[in-house]
Amino acid sequence: MGDDCSTSLRPYLQCVRSSLSAALAISNFASQTSERHNVPEIEAASSPELLLNPLVISRNSDERTFIEPSVNSVRVSLKVKQADEIEHILVHKFARFLTQRADAFLILRRKPVEGYDISFLITNFHTEAMLKHKIVDFVIEFMEEVDKEISEMKLFLNARARFVAESFLTPFD
Amino acid sequence: MLLLDYHNVLIHSLLTERFSGSTPVSIDQIVSDFDGVTFHLSTPESKTKILISIQVKCFRELVQYGAQQVLEREYGPYIVDPEPGYDFSVLIDLENLPAEQEAKDDLITRLALMKRNAMAAPFERAFDEFAKLSEEASRYTTESAPQGVKEGGEVMAIHYREEEAIYIKASHDRVTVIFSTVFREETDRIFGKVFLQEFVDARRRVLTLQNAPQVLFRNDPPLELAGVPGLQNVNDGTLSYVTFVLFPRHLTPHRRYENISHIQIFRDYFHYHIKASKAYIHTRMRKRTADFLQVLNRARPENEERERKTASGRTFRVQG
Repeated sequence: MGDDCSTSLRPYLQCVRSSLSAALAISNFASQTSERHNVPEIEAASSPELLLNPLVISRNSDERTFIEPSVNSVRVSLKVKQADEIEHILVHKFARFLTQRADAFLILRRKPVEGYDISFLITNFHTEAMLKHKIVDFVIEFMEEVDKEISEMKLFLNARARFVAESFLTPFD
Repeated sequence: MLLLDYHNVLIHSLLTERFSGSTPVSIDQIVSDFDGVTFHLSTPESKTKILISIQVKCFRELVQYGAQQVLEREYGPYIVDPEPGYDFSVLIDLENLPAEQEAKDDLITRLALMKRNAMAAPFERAFDEFAKLSEEASRYTTESAPQGVKEGGEVMAIHYREEEAIYIKASHDRVTVIFSTVFREETDRIFGKVFLQEFVDARRRVLTLQNAPQVLFRNDPPLELAGVPGLQNVNDGTLSYVTFVLFPRHLTPHRRYENISHIQIFRDYFHYHIKASKAYIHTRMRKRTADFLQVLNRARPENEERERKTASGRTFRVQG
């Protein structure tokens, strides 16, 4: 499985990278409905002409990326692999941990889009203040690292459980 | 610290200090231990007389299984009437201590093990019962054994915590100890499952643990507990039953003291390590989050170039 994962991971990330780079062609766009407002149109969805075609990139049935572009903002949602209960709880904890710090993360959405674990909201203000390709880098690195982190934590938990069990049972003899 | 101590460290250090011959001082201290056990150390009459009282939630059950005899055996001459609000008290006179250092140390250790000794009663009883039953059983073949010998003794229940209990049952070829444990949180439940699975597998996997007690776990009450009153059968996964099967080799007279101490700390040990894993994972996530932030900050361009100066210190100014 490990080999298959790493070979399918690269095209998956590459695909997300190019799709996201393309989607990030966004510009300042003032609200059409209320004066002196400027809101991310992907969230406001005030007019269908401002939204572009959303795109789902799936690596497999339980790992996918959802990119929703609009005229002045892009929403990227990630579904992280959760093979079992342990991974599920670890992903859930990790996602909560991050969203609680959404203020520092600027582009992190406080609440993931329905059906996903974590969402980013990138607006034209972010792309103006930050380097666009570096934002893409961040999202890609995030995707790589989250998987790695989750599986490492799971390994740690199993290793510790094993060690703890053996240490408890040894003195009986 | 991997394995927890059997004794109460605070009592141990406090008594060591008092016993070392330093000037007597008045003490009034409440010490908590695992499983809601509370100790009270005080000097009600004079500074040289230390009263140590223990309060255990399930003391009445323990007395039923012979705790009084065990405690009398351990603390015989020191026992006094229990302090109001507590279940059992001993009074130590500092002016009347054993002379040798070794005897003193032994007394300290014994006093610090008061919780262990109180809880040990049903275990000792079960071990004795096992000895009796196995001797009886050796007179019969498997087929001809009378019903009583085959089934083993009654199930002793110790409700040592609010919702959790230990059940002990002796048979002619083993003693079964069942812990019921509650997981408050989803995370604890899942971590607990991982840990318990390893307890179950350890014996099969590691060659040196072939002789360890067999461990089993399940979410509904095991068959041994059929007919025990007060069992909740809520099958939502919050309640787990962990069964330890102690074999004759664990019940021999020279192993039993150690093994009773050791099996008592199972619940605390188990929950301690679940909490410790959670804490570790938490710090790890914290660290990882900080790393992510760093990556994101790389996306911000460097600050605008600083003001440039000539060698003599004059600055350039953009003409407006």
